[in-house]
Amino acid sequence: MSNRVAVVGGGISRFDNPRYELHEEMCAEAVREMLADNSNIDYPKDIDAVIYSYFSDHLAGQLCFHWIIHDYLGLLPKPAYRVESGGATPIDALINAFMYIKSGIFKNVLVVGWEKMSELDTPKVNEFIAAASDTDFDFPVGGYYTGYYAVLETRHMYLYGETEEDLAKIAVKNHNNATFNPYAQWRSQHGTTFITVDDVFKSRLISWPYRALNCAMISDGAACMLLASEETAKKFTDSPVWITGVGLGTDTMRPGDRVDNPMYRGLYSEDESIYPGVSTKTASPYPEMANFGSIRVSGDMAYKMAGIDNPVKQLDFAELFNPYDGVELAEYEDLRFCKRGEGKILVREGVTDWGGELPCQLSGAHTAAGHPVGATSIAQAMQIYWQLTEQTANKWKTKARALSGAQRALLQGHGGTGCQSGVIIFERG
Amino acid sequence: MAYKPKKIVESLEYNKQWDEWARQGNWSPVGWRWIEGPKGYRLDKLSTTNYLVIQRPHASLYHHSYGMTSKFFKGLLEKKLYGSKCPKCGSIYLPPRAHCWNAECRLEETEWVELPPRGEVHTFSVMAFSATPFLKTLPFIIAYVRVEGCCTTVPTRLLKVNPWDVYPGLKVNINFVEHPKGDIMDIYCTPAETPDPSKRIMSSETIERLKDDMRKVKEWVVRKFGSEAKPSIEI
Repeated sequence: MSNRVAVVGGGISRFDNPRYELHEEMCAEAVREMLADNSNIDYPKDIDAVIYSYFSDHLAGQLCFHWIIHDYLGLLPKPAYRVESGGATPIDALINAFMYIKSGIFKNVLVVGWEKMSELDTPKVNEFIAAASDTDFDFPVGGYYTGYYAVLETRHMYLYGETEEDLAKIAVKNHNNATFNPYAQWRSQHGTTFITVDDVFKSRLISWPYRALNCAMISDGAACMLLASEETAKKFTDSPVWITGVGLGTDTMRPGDRVDNPMYRGLYSEDESIYPGVSTKTASPYPEMANFGSIRVSGDMAYKMAGIDNPVKQLDFAELFNPYDGVELAEYEDLRFCKRGEGKILVREGVTDWGGELPCQLSGAHTAAGHPVGATSIAQAMQIYWQLTEQTANKWKTKARALSGAQRALLQGHGGTGCQSGVIIFERG
Repeated sequence: MAYKPKKIVESLEYNKQWDEWARQGNWSPVGWRWIEGPKGYRLDKLSTTNYLVIQRPHASLYHHSYGMTSKFFKGLLEKKLYGSKCPKCGSIYLPPRAHCWNAECRLEETEWVELPPRGEVHTFSVMAFSATPFLKTLPFIIAYVRVEGCCTTVPTRLLKVNPWDVYPGLKVNINFVEHPKGDIMDIYCTPAETPDPSKRIMSSETIERLKDDMRKVKEWVVRKFGSEAKPSIEI
């Protein structure tokens, strides 16, 4: 029998800027929440191995930070290592843990992720994040990540005609969701009042078409999740959440290399055919510089493993990687929530809003819950876990964004400008 | 390697004061604050406590080799634009690749070709904020430009055009700065044709908003950097 992998617990230490606690203290808080919620975990005896997730040595001025965290959490001499892949770091850490348990090497694997980005001023943080672009080509021109993603969104707008208002609607949805989330940076800094499209337009332009409220926050925070084998899961909980599919995919480091990319040519002929007759048609019309091929590849792999052929019908909600609002719109297409070019229709019809057929980002995600890189997808995974086990109302002290009876959810994460992507499908037992 | 090459063929030697500047800071505190701040893992469970916050600077100087793509960057110093071409499949790369990435070419080594200083905008953004090194030149336009004959696009600054007059397909010239330094910023683009207003991708409402944004960004840059401010967009 194949060894199924369960989620049996976890915790979050809230996202904010700044958090004055040390990195290891925030991680300890997340682990304490997990232990407080699940007295069946015999800590540290039940932890067989740990995967650590953090993005940047530069932001902290500290290499091998996980050695500090690991001993701080009292987990010596257990096996542990760090995963790093930009924004994909936390989802890769989760997938690493999944594969470890699948392999039978370890039964229970703890994933701990964090980031502290507040020690430098915002332009310096932008500089250090941009060090994850090609520093011989993209970085010296001054685009930095908001710029790289903005040129991709400009291209998608040019081809498929979504407007700045569509992007603003995504921002409104996510910020308003975050006002209910007690772990969210937006709620900490701006309170619980809702925003409107007009508020988005009034926020500072960052790189057209993105304004401040369309962009990921710079955050501190931590999260952890405990994954267990089918054999050991029942010791921890009567209501595990199963990981039924995982997927991984990659695309070019430099976004500008995607126009004629031979590796994608013909892979998705239907999406290539939905391409307007423009003067700048490329030799590789999908994804080129408009969509995210790595997300398509990772999504398809996860769907196949989980037996999903109609994501909108078969998924109850999703937490996507949304550093900028156009990314969320393109992801709807790349993850097959709709056809290529129809992401704007999902936005306009409210399909991904609270109450829609496939709510996305109930946590608020990157632009509103916050984006401490190494923790982000783990915290989103925890919000999925709480939704699928119907703990959200209790955790959030409100039913405003708590689903009832949700069976299946998708988590997607990626790094760079979609240079690598991961998808995980979670299902309640 | 960077310190003791076999032979220096030609050079622009750096000001050796950079060795000292790169040791500035040295991770040693230059100041501190004893502050009151929040403590707690959730917003509904916060208390107040004290934290010591220190200021700790450091700097570094990288001796970076451009490897097998060095001829491209040496070309920039000489105001020549080179791309790399695969002798097997004929693909021309800018940014250059020393090895072809077409699977059937099995990482064949490429050859250098001189490229025409012309291309077209594939996509672009109007930058109103950026990373530390680029703040003084805000606002500016970055454009990913496909140089004639190339199978990739290269990021460049696009100058001497209003942001709303930029669209995918706009023909541009590649220009060299007066004093090249040996990085990709040695080239910039300017329109090679009068922009066609019927090809604009911004609505009139967007353009009005953008004009207001540009004004605000310029004010911010001038306020922050005074006479050192060099906004790249003239309106």
